[in-house]
Amino acid sequence: MKLFSSDTRKPVTILSAVSSILIILAASSFALAQQKVSRRFPAGKNVRFELKNVTGTITVETWQRDEIMVTALMDNRKATFNPRQTDTGLVIDIVGDNRGRGDIGDMNFKIQLPVRSSVDLETRSGQINVSNIQGDLVRAHIWTSGDIRLSGVNAARVFASNTSGDIFFDGEFAAGGTYEFKSGRGTISLQLPANCGFHLVATAPVKKISMGPFWHEGMKLMGEGRRITGDVGDGRASVTVTNYQGDIQFFRR
Amino acid sequence: MNCENYQILLSEFVDGTLTAEDCARVELHLTSCPDCTDARNDLRVVVDFCLEQRGQYDAIPNERAMWLRISNLIEAESSSPARSQTPREAGWWFRLMNRSWQLSFPQLAGLAGAIVLVVAFATAFSMYRLSSRTSPLVTGIVPGSNSASIEERYSQQQQMISYWNQRVELNKARWNPQMRETFDRNMSVIDAAVTDSMKQLHQNPHDSVSEDILNDALNDKVALLKEFSDL
Repeated sequence: MKLFSSDTRKPVTILSAVSSILIILAASSFALAQQKVSRRFPAGKNVRFELKNVTGTITVETWQRDEIMVTALMDNRKATFNPRQTDTGLVIDIVGDNRGRGDIGDMNFKIQLPVRSSVDLETRSGQINVSNIQGDLVRAHIWTSGDIRLSGVNAARVFASNTSGDIFFDGEFAAGGTYEFKSGRGTISLQLPANCGFHLVATAPVKKISMGPFWHEGMKLMGEGRRITGDVGDGRASVTVTNYQGDIQFFRR
Repeated sequence: MNCENYQILLSEFVDGTLTAEDCARVELHLTSCPDCTDARNDLRVVVDFCLEQRGQYDAIPNERAMWLRISNLIEAESSSPARSQTPREAGWWFRLMNRSWQLSFPQLAGLAGAIVLVVAFATAFSMYRLSSRTSPLVTGIVPGSNSASIEERYSQQQQMISYWNQRVELNKARWNPQMRETFDRNMSVIDAAVTDSMKQLHQNPHDSVSEDILNDALNDKVALLKEFSDL
């Protein structure tokens, strides 16, 4: 018995051909609607990079060149961005550049910087990923929703905050450094080397603070365990972790 | 020209050093102005007397000593009535107010410096008091402060929140649905933190953890509203 007669096979072939064309057309129109812009800027070894985005993902990576490369993928062709070079680095203010333009859609950035750079990143929503930065400052702030992932970070000052979304930090705390992590709802995870030293104030009023291998009897529990304070190691770095409605977790690297 | 201008010229007129034209003009004025004529006559008498007596007066032998005597006499006369006018039974305020103040320049500068210092301290102190009173409105609730109840401080913060909320609501219609949903969802996260910590504080008003969280959450709420108010 023939499953498909030659009469029934013909319309199926035509239908599949038409749908393939439609898919290709839709994909190409979406690709045409997006705009990709890449720019390179000369930079010294110690760079300060600032980016204030509206929505979209920001990814910051390091490379071995003394220059900054900015790659922006814009949903809306009306959106503009005008990087401004300063004495110490580069400033991109998407909020300011597009004020009064209405909805500009997502703008996704990939930034490549020298290793010893300071980064100050801010967005109203979207993800922030920073890896292998070893400068003075790493600041990542999401006004509403979005995850923050900081990996291989070795900076003297680190500030990461969002309202909802996870925060992940994998790096080192420098002696005398300041480190603040704050979320409204989400999990804050800190992955640290075993020999790190810091003074901790961790507050999670609703969920759990899990100190993992960093817990010891000298630590002080306050408010029925909603806050933990104490020194780990030499206690020379200052670490503040606050999570309104989520967990705080410490892991050994 | 008026009389005042003519009287300026009288000295030169009497000395005979005026120009012929000015001299004729002054003479014409004098024929019609008795006041200026009297002034001219007085001046002429003085000048004539000086001219007549020239060389008849010798210089004073010790002019400096004589001047010192005169100045001492003047000082003694001017200070003695002031002292005699202050009754013995007068109070410190009366003495203070009737005292003649004579200050040297360094004393005056020192006094001015002291006044500036006092005013600066007073201003700084009043600014500090003012800022500590208004700080809950600006930066949130002060942990551990017992001057006002949680509700009072919360309502103060609410005034600021409602102001920024109004501004956000005005702009919200322009946002896309996704942005509206994201904003509302995140605002509810902060509101939940505020509500939870308020509940805890009602049960235990001295719970510092809840007080810190309430303070932080309210500050975050104001900051979020501010950020989205100009969207």
